[in-house]
Amino acid sequence: MRLNIVIGGKAGQGPNVLANILGDMIVKNGHYVFSSRDYGSVIRGGHNFNALTILDEPVHSNDSKIDILVALDDKTEEIHKNSLNKNAVILKGSDRNMYYAGRLVKLLGMDFKFLEDELKKLKKFDENLKDAKRGYSDEKQNKIKLHNKKSSNSFSTGTQGVAEGALKSGLDVYYAYPMTPATPLMFELAPKQLENNIMVLELENEIAVIKAAIGSAITGAKSMCGTSGGGFDLMAEALSEAGIIESPLVIYLAQRPGPSTGVPTYTGQGDLDAARHSGHGEFPRLVVAPGDPIESAELTSQCFYFSQKFKMPCIILSDKHLAESFYTMQGKPKLAKSEKTAMLKRYNSYEHDEKGEMVETSDDINKAVEARLKKAERIREEAEKFEMFKIHGKKDSRNIIVSWGSTKGAILDAIKGKDAKFMQILYIEPFSEKIKAELEKAENVIVVENNATAPLAGLIKDKTCVFVEDKNKILRYDGRPFFYDELKEEIERRIR
Amino acid sequence: MTPQDLSTKNPSTWCPGCFNFQILAAVKNAVAKEIAEGKPGKTKDDFAIVTGIGCHAKMFDYVNLSGINTLHGRVLPTCLGMKVGNPNLNVIGFSGDGDAYAEGMEHLIHAARYNSDFKYVIHNNQVFALTVGEPTPVTEIGFADKTTPLGVKLQPLNPIKLMLAAGAGFVARVFADIKQIEYVMQEAFKHKGFAFIEIIQPCIIFHPDAGFKEKTYSLEQAGHNKSDFDAAWKKADEFDYNIAKNIPCGIFYQKEKSTFEDLWPQLQQLKKKGIGWKDVKR
Repeated sequence: MRLNIVIGGKAGQGPNVLANILGDMIVKNGHYVFSSRDYGSVIRGGHNFNALTILDEPVHSNDSKIDILVALDDKTEEIHKNSLNKNAVILKGSDRNMYYAGRLVKLLGMDFKFLEDELKKLKKFDENLKDAKRGYSDEKQNKIKLHNKKSSNSFSTGTQGVAEGALKSGLDVYYAYPMTPATPLMFELAPKQLENNIMVLELENEIAVIKAAIGSAITGAKSMCGTSGGGFDLMAEALSEAGIIESPLVIYLAQRPGPSTGVPTYTGQGDLDAARHSGHGEFPRLVVAPGDPIESAELTSQCFYFSQKFKMPCIILSDKHLAESFYTMQGKPKLAKSEKTAMLKRYNSYEHDEKGEMVETSDDINKAVEARLKKAERIREEAEKFEMFKIHGKKDSRNIIVSWGSTKGAILDAIKGKDAKFMQILYIEPFSEKIKAELEKAENVIVVENNATAPLAGLIKDKTCVFVEDKNKILRYDGRPFFYDELKEEIERRIR
Repeated sequence: MTPQDLSTKNPSTWCPGCFNFQILAAVKNAVAKEIAEGKPGKTKDDFAIVTGIGCHAKMFDYVNLSGINTLHGRVLPTCLGMKVGNPNLNVIGFSGDGDAYAEGMEHLIHAARYNSDFKYVIHNNQVFALTVGEPTPVTEIGFADKTTPLGVKLQPLNPIKLMLAAGAGFVARVFADIKQIEYVMQEAFKHKGFAFIEIIQPCIIFHPDAGFKEKTYSLEQAGHNKSDFDAAWKKADEFDYNIAKNIPCGIFYQKEKSTFEDLWPQLQQLKKKGIGWKDVKR
């Protein structure tokens, strides 16, 4: 049984901290937790909440309904009352967040000492412990008995996956300008820069960020920069430069709903085409889309691999839902190893010969353009050696659901036990030539995307001539991720 | 090492008589002298150049050093990134006035603030020359061309005052004359930190009225004290970039302070070891 807990309150009341320690504790007790975060663009006030879904087997999404609601303010109950399941428990009052941690621990039948251990990691230990103890003794129900067995599963975000992948791939310098939801990567990398002996720099804008990243890359450093859609737009000219000068470069692009400022603290997948096409001119690039923290680490390492081996820009396409949600992960990522291949020489943004000297004759331009075309082909061949897509679920099903990125979690949960398989596309660019055959094997192709115009369906049409009917496009574009129960119904309706 | 050793085989495409030839010769002289001294960390491979887009950018084609001919307006963050990548490099950035004062203005202010230890040379002919003569932010009032037939209406920007206000530790302006440039570049090489060197030059095709040598005078000969910020500010006020007669040239202000590379322990370590990140094994 999926157990759904929502913890809500004003920004500043600490629903997020409470959710994180609760999730951590439950994972350590051998359960699986998926925890996502919903917050507005405010520092104090507003309404923020975290949704935790708990299960005895792997879980990767939340439900639209709530079993336990922790309301740190009155507004929380008002906003969520229509989502409550029958017999839902509501914990509310005017106490501080850790009081409710105590009550939840009792309610979930967990040992108090786990909470005490968690509180040791936070500031104001004595105050928090007092609150938590009072909550524990005030709670009289013990509704659920979560078992207590040791687990080595990790509880981490997509952001942490990217950070792990980058550090283990030998990252030297990371540049960024603050922009939600890419900033958490700076939060991961910056505090440990001395320990890891890397540079983490915030510069005056995204143009400076990518230009400095390229400047470092051409001296031989392993260089990376991060941003979200608006900042990525500013980087476009330099992305094109990285293409012509052949600089290794890894770009972390964490999407949020656009266009323009859009909805800064919510999630969406509207930048697939921007990642594929941004930057003028024609040049090879890599675009990968992880769907969980382990894939985030693995694909980040593959971006370093490709960027160094082929001296090219590589883009990790994430979004707010993947970047900021906590996933219970089993096992460790399998990371690609990469060398440092670039060196200081003559680089030229002007069309140039092998020595970096500018050229303008027809023959020389043809030679340079065709060299890039051949390189793109070599990149595609090399990419086929990696897992460019995954097939999950019932392998011989005639129903195939195709998607990319953070929708993975809800789809995996929704197709459990269904006559459906799920093709998760990890490599957006280049696009695997094997995808066409996989799609043609199926009779019913369904696309799931967190956007309004289904760019993946468009890409599939371009690359494979497989046409996805409009009624088979399951799209959500309200800034929220897919919920398990709602998506399950949408899929059931389309399965033949 | 002679200046000729820094030449390339690329045919020159500047207009005959262009003052950029003076700048090219002076830069090659100054760099060749640095390398010829044979000091550690000053071999040819330790130097790198960065150019933007415009007539000045052909410097990249004619100076045989590593580096990058980069985008319009983005010379400064590129130089910064190279210094972060390897703080031991001797990096020289070149820009035109369009590059430095229009497209890349935001980087200029921050470069002064960062004080990364590289040198920045601006070829200021007060016009967009390679795009056939449009006004830039430092073109004088009244200048007219096909894009601005009614004439420039706005007061030009004063880059010297801007750099002083932004905290630059080395602020100089010279005329496009071999001796003046060579001298100020040698001084800039000795200076620890960001050095701003503006070279005023006429564009003989599109802006022949802009700063001629006869219209300049030497700050040094006039007894200017380059460590006096207030005096530098007053001198900077003497030329407002409209057509003028008495243009002060030389080093307006010089004061050393902690460089960008001094402020991060990670970069200090690289400096101590004489390496860049490329040679850091993980």
